[in-house]
Amino acid sequence: MKSDSIIVKNLSKKFTFPVKGASYGWLKNLFSPDIKEVVAVNDISFSIERGERVAFIGPNGAGKSTTIKMLTGILFPTSGQVSVLGLDPSKDRKKLAYQIGTVFGQRSQLLPNLPLTDSLEFFGVMYDLTDEQIKNRTKELTDLFDLGSFIDQPVRKLSLGQRMRAEVAVSLIHKPKIILLDEPTIGLDVVAKKTLRDLLLKINKEEGVTIFLTSHDVGDIEFLCDRTIVINHGVVIKDLPTSDLASAFVYEKYIDLIPLERFTNFPALPEGIKYLVKEQNKITVSIIVNKISIKESLKKLLDIFELEDIDVYDADLETVIRHIYEGN
Amino acid sequence: MKEIRFADKIIRILIKDRLHYPGRLITDTVILIARCGILLLLYYYVFKLNNGLVNGVTFGVVAWSMFFYFAFSTLRLRDISRSIMRDVQTGNIEVFFNKPMSYLLYKTWWQVGSGLYSFLLVAIIGSLGLFLTIGIPSTMTIGIFLPTLLLVFLGASILTIIVYAIVGVLAFWIEDINPVFWLVDKAVMILGGSYLPIALFPVFLYKIALYSPFGASQFITHTVNTSWRSDWYILIGIQAVWIIISGVVLFFMYSKAKRRISVNGG
Repeated sequence: MKSDSIIVKNLSKKFTFPVKGASYGWLKNLFSPDIKEVVAVNDISFSIERGERVAFIGPNGAGKSTTIKMLTGILFPTSGQVSVLGLDPSKDRKKLAYQIGTVFGQRSQLLPNLPLTDSLEFFGVMYDLTDEQIKNRTKELTDLFDLGSFIDQPVRKLSLGQRMRAEVAVSLIHKPKIILLDEPTIGLDVVAKKTLRDLLLKINKEEGVTIFLTSHDVGDIEFLCDRTIVINHGVVIKDLPTSDLASAFVYEKYIDLIPLERFTNFPALPEGIKYLVKEQNKITVSIIVNKISIKESLKKLLDIFELEDIDVYDADLETVIRHIYEGN
Repeated sequence: MKEIRFADKIIRILIKDRLHYPGRLITDTVILIARCGILLLLYYYVFKLNNGLVNGVTFGVVAWSMFFYFAFSTLRLRDISRSIMRDVQTGNIEVFFNKPMSYLLYKTWWQVGSGLYSFLLVAIIGSLGLFLTIGIPSTMTIGIFLPTLLLVFLGASILTIIVYAIVGVLAFWIEDINPVFWLVDKAVMILGGSYLPIALFPVFLYKIALYSPFGASQFITHTVNTSWRSDWYILIGIQAVWIIISGVVLFFMYSKAKRRISVNGG
């Protein structure tokens, strides 16, 4: 039986900050301003097993970063419990840091002026590895991440794709059990994104590293994560397999209709079905499944058109996520 | 042991970094020559006009005292304030807080490593230059000079780091610490003897320099005074007391500050 890497129970985080009243004098604003309270995370609970690959998604300001920061011990929860690998991050931040790796897509932890080898050595010493362990692990990571061609170059001369590979490699120097990634593919081109995703999958499979990822990139979620937790307004609104996202959030299906010869007229469609594409050699319609079933739709479409081929499919993940964000 | 190995690694890495990019060393040397050199030149003429003696002090004592101040400043320990402020303002602090180390200790070693190479070169070359041009005053030839200089240098480094770290940690509350930094920095400069050498201070200013943490963080400038022979243990004692007091203040401030972290709204 797999054990839990992360357990979150009824976790909440409130931020308070002073707000200046327009009608107050400067003295009151300085010494006794009004206090505004913002609930960033509101009573969330979930658990993640060792070796899982989980996407933690939500629109900007949903509470993703706040939750990640509480998982790593940077922020202190207002209430609730967090256990990461059996440790309480707010009490055992340093101890926990030895067992987790973090990658922030928009921040760098590498030494910019020196070759990548120096960053690997530097973090190796920081994580209390022996010289021999650093040497061996550097070799492993160089092979795994194909760093050989640029490992001796100053970090600031690396391309963004190379730098992100290096960031992930450095965060794995101490063989963490969990890696938390905050938008790791931001700004990367399609090739670099694919390379990075492949590598993350590889370390998950070969080293059993649990992956906890936040990203606005649908490809990251679709390709990397087999489970998705959706958060909005500080509340977990869904926790489900990534493959079930579409059916859980989108009540639309799509049908491509290919004509026997060619479409010449486009008659009105029954309620719940609407045209998306009207071409002579192809029609695409959307079906609102809680108004009309697929079976019923197909029957009616076959009555209207003479068809050679039909293709029924779900919305793509990007559409699904847009629906989730807009709907909440 | 782990802390020592890590500190050693930071210092080695940063010295390597400086060797790759010697611009910082050249800048430090030019600044030192410009600031200290101009002041020494002015004081040289003042002493010359007064037959080589002002307030019973020779130019040699003043020159070495001021040189100690400026050489110490090339360590750039004061930069810890702005470094902490930048981390807080940019949110980069989250990267450091994910590492298995004490943030303040890391910053301290980083600051030491950043300035050590410049300091060593400036101190060695500057000392040789002063030795060859104006010689060394008799106060620097007594037996306790060198060991007490090293002791007070260590105390000055620790106290400077703590005082400026307190200013830096204020960024968790007020974000822009520049006004506070300016006040503290000017107090350290004046009471440390960067413009007017300690030996020429009026009594009331000397007392402030002696009993304030700002003055105490620059006690190395006192080591060439004639009074050092008899008063060194009092000054080192004062320095130790300020290290303990300001250390406790920093500890409590930092404990509170950690709970105030806010990065990108979270």
